Amino acid sequence: MSLSAAYNIINSAFLSTAAQTAVISRNISNASTPGYSREIANVLTNSYGGSDVASVTREANSALLEQVNVSTSQAASEQALANGLATLAQSVSDSASSTSTSGATQNGNSPSAMLANLQDALTTYQTSPGSAAAGQAVVTAASDLASSLNSGSATVQQVREQADSDMASSVSTVNSLLNQFSQVDQTIVGGLATGADVSGAEDTRDSILTQLSQQIGVSTTTNANGSTSIYTDSGVTLYQSGVASQLSFTPTPTLTAGMSGNQVSVNGVPITGPSAPMAIQSGALAGLANLRDTVAPEYQAQLDQIAGGLVNAFAESDQSTTTPGLPSLPGLFTYPGATGLPATNGVTGLAASIEVNPAVDPSQGGDLSLLQNGGVNGANYVYNATGSAGYTGRIQQLAAATTSTQSFDPSAGLASSASLNDYANSSVSWLQAQNQQASNGVDYQNSLVSQATSALSNATGVSLDTEMTNMLNIENSYTTTAKLLTTVNDMFTALLNAA
Amino acid sequence: MSAAFVSTSYLGTAMLPTVAKVQSSLTNLEVESSTGQYADLGLQLGGQSGYELSLKNENDLLQTLTSGNGLVTTNLTTAQDALNSILSGAQSATASLTSWTSSEVNSGPTLQSLGANALQSLIAMTNSTSGGQYVFGGINSGVAPMADYFSTPTSAAKTAIDTAFQTAFGCLPTDPAASAITASQMQSFLSGPFATQFSGANWTQNWSSASSVNPTAQIAPGETIDASTNANQAGFQQLAQAYTMLSEFGGSQLSSAAQQAVASTANSIITQGLNSVTSTEANVGASLQRVTDANSSMSSQMTILQTQIGNLDNVNAQAVAVQLNTLTTQLQTAYQLTAQLQKLSLAQYLPIA
Repeated sequence: MSLSAAYNIINSAFLSTAAQTAVISRNISNASTPGYSREIANVLTNSYGGSDVASVTREANSALLEQVNVSTSQAASEQALANGLATLAQSVSDSASSTSTSGATQNGNSPSAMLANLQDALTTYQTSPGSAAAGQAVVTAASDLASSLNSGSATVQQVREQADSDMASSVSTVNSLLNQFSQVDQTIVGGLATGADVSGAEDTRDSILTQLSQQIGVSTTTNANGSTSIYTDSGVTLYQSGVASQLSFTPTPTLTAGMSGNQVSVNGVPITGPSAPMAIQSGALAGLANLRDTVAPEYQAQLDQIAGGLVNAFAESDQSTTTPGLPSLPGLFTYPGATGLPATNGVTGLAASIEVNPAVDPSQGGDLSLLQNGGVNGANYVYNATGSAGYTGRIQQLAAATTSTQSFDPSAGLASSASLNDYANSSVSWLQAQNQQASNGVDYQNSLVSQATSALSNATGVSLDTEMTNMLNIENSYTTTAKLLTTVNDMFTALLNAA
Repeated sequence: MSAAFVSTSYLGTAMLPTVAKVQSSLTNLEVESSTGQYADLGLQLGGQSGYELSLKNENDLLQTLTSGNGLVTTNLTTAQDALNSILSGAQSATASLTSWTSSEVNSGPTLQSLGANALQSLIAMTNSTSGGQYVFGGINSGVAPMADYFSTPTSAAKTAIDTAFQTAFGCLPTDPAASAITASQMQSFLSGPFATQFSGANWTQNWSSASSVNPTAQIAPGETIDASTNANQAGFQQLAQAYTMLSEFGGSQLSSAAQQAVASTANSIITQGLNSVTSTEANVGASLQRVTDANSSMSSQMTILQTQIGNLDNVNAQAVAVQLNTLTTQLQTAYQLTAQLQKLSLAQYLPIA
């Protein structure tokens, strides 16, 4: 060993100290960057006894990252559904703050509550059939009920259209993220092949993956060359070896009842919708598709069933004996273009168009007495043949109409045989149960995300204290090395002076 | 990687989710403590919302029925009062008739005014209204049920009776020729052509505009009663017949024997009428009793319903207060902890060279 060898060692010590300081600086500066994985300088003894920073390792944890991504996807899907359901639930809630004692309900604007109001109005009317005010109250309650169904249906349509346009923006986000991912992934593959430091690029790639998980549930595999392939959680390839697939989707600006929106597809394979063979399970896209294609249409179907049930319950039957066999026709409630009563399986979109029959509504030039006597559809349908002022039979029939059992289409997700009152109540229950479930789901998934994120942060994040300690070590080592340099220098000087 | 490793970013943000959660719970609790109900009822009840709504709807319906029953009670009470006064009128008429004898001075005009007054009061009582509706009109409550016998121009009923008398005896009761009519002739007239004036088509054409169909009212879920009665019942016909008899033939040119026959026939018909009206009144009373029973049963039902609704809707005020305290303490702790953790950094303890 010679003194000049000591110089070399000192030199390498300076270099390695500098490299380690650089890593520490990078760690400290990114201490608050979400998704940053801390780096560790691997120091090795070199061939002549000095130290070198041989490589920089990223403290990555792919298992925990996967956990974060999966829970992020689930949360995003639940959140999308919950937002839509909250809007729907809003549509049945009492907008006027619930201060009245009897109407203090948050479902005060639901068809069910409106139906009960109508029944109350009819009950009052039957005790004073001569009162025009009581008759008017019935027509008002009926209009409120019809507009509650109309606005409920409009809300469903609005929720579906919003979901559709959110899907479009989600699709374009996914596409742009996939392109970014492709670039970063190729940088990493190239960098690894040439031995360059790719840790920054790897951080970017992880963060793109997490952003992608917001929109669509993904799973990944890592290839031998360091490239990462992305598949949807249903197994459709999104990115592989430099080739990014693109999601295709055509938005539908107007989605009326019964209309179905377009599917999202990857290379021609549909990944959303009930008929998709490889439908995605999570991510905002899945939640939105579920909302648009399943949940909201089911509620629409229930509203349509209620509307159909109403028209049927308040229909007029043939009262004449001379021309028997006339069909029953819509009475208090009708819809534009009605030629008869709606069938059990309903008229799609009826909730949007149901209205109070203009023939009984005085504000539309109608005649209130048709309510008491029948005859909306002409003389053959008059119940009060003698025109007596105190006749209450028809009003009592109407008041009881909502409590008699009817048939409903079971495909709307509720009972197939129930009274209109019970059916409307079950619809509210259904909606609020879905709302509650989605809201609880969001809470649960969000806490999973926050737990997984904490775990990931603790596994791969930066601790300033640790970095600080390392820094002190390096500082000490630097001081010592400098001291060493001075000493070796002194030795050389002594040697040279001695000569 | 040691399990004890905690990243600085986690250390700094660890309390954030707790703080956010506690804050949102606090806003809910504030609403709950001020209204006494759950902040978001739909979210709280979920699938039970429909059940809760059905309880409320049922409660509302019972309330509506109870207030509607007030009107039914008024109608029935009006009918009952009218029937009572008809009954007392008939009772005093029959009392007067029993003590009446044809031999007294002015006995004929006494009979006549007795009948006319009683008939007028019967017509007035029969045309009693409640809230603008005729209580004895049946479902035809918009028209006065009993026509005014004494109206000008001459009522159809009077014309028909005059015609019948003319047909039977060839003269009017006011005609001096009527004095030739014997008691037995009069008797057979009264039980024959005269009696038919007060039944069947003659009654509905000349006397009554009422419908024989009683209006019904729903007084409780599934319980419907006759909300009133009608003037086409036997009692009204019999009393009208007896009173008209007295009014027409009392004080007329009839012989005292014939007048005696009129008085005794009228008396026996009034007695029949009394029985009929009493049974009508009993029916009205029974209806009133049913309304009262329905009200009290609905009232206890409503108490049960409101208790159930309260169980679903209302928060436990004490629990809310305790929760509010706990959460406030928790929030304070979270703030304190965040501040303390921020201080716990090595950087604070290193001398800066």
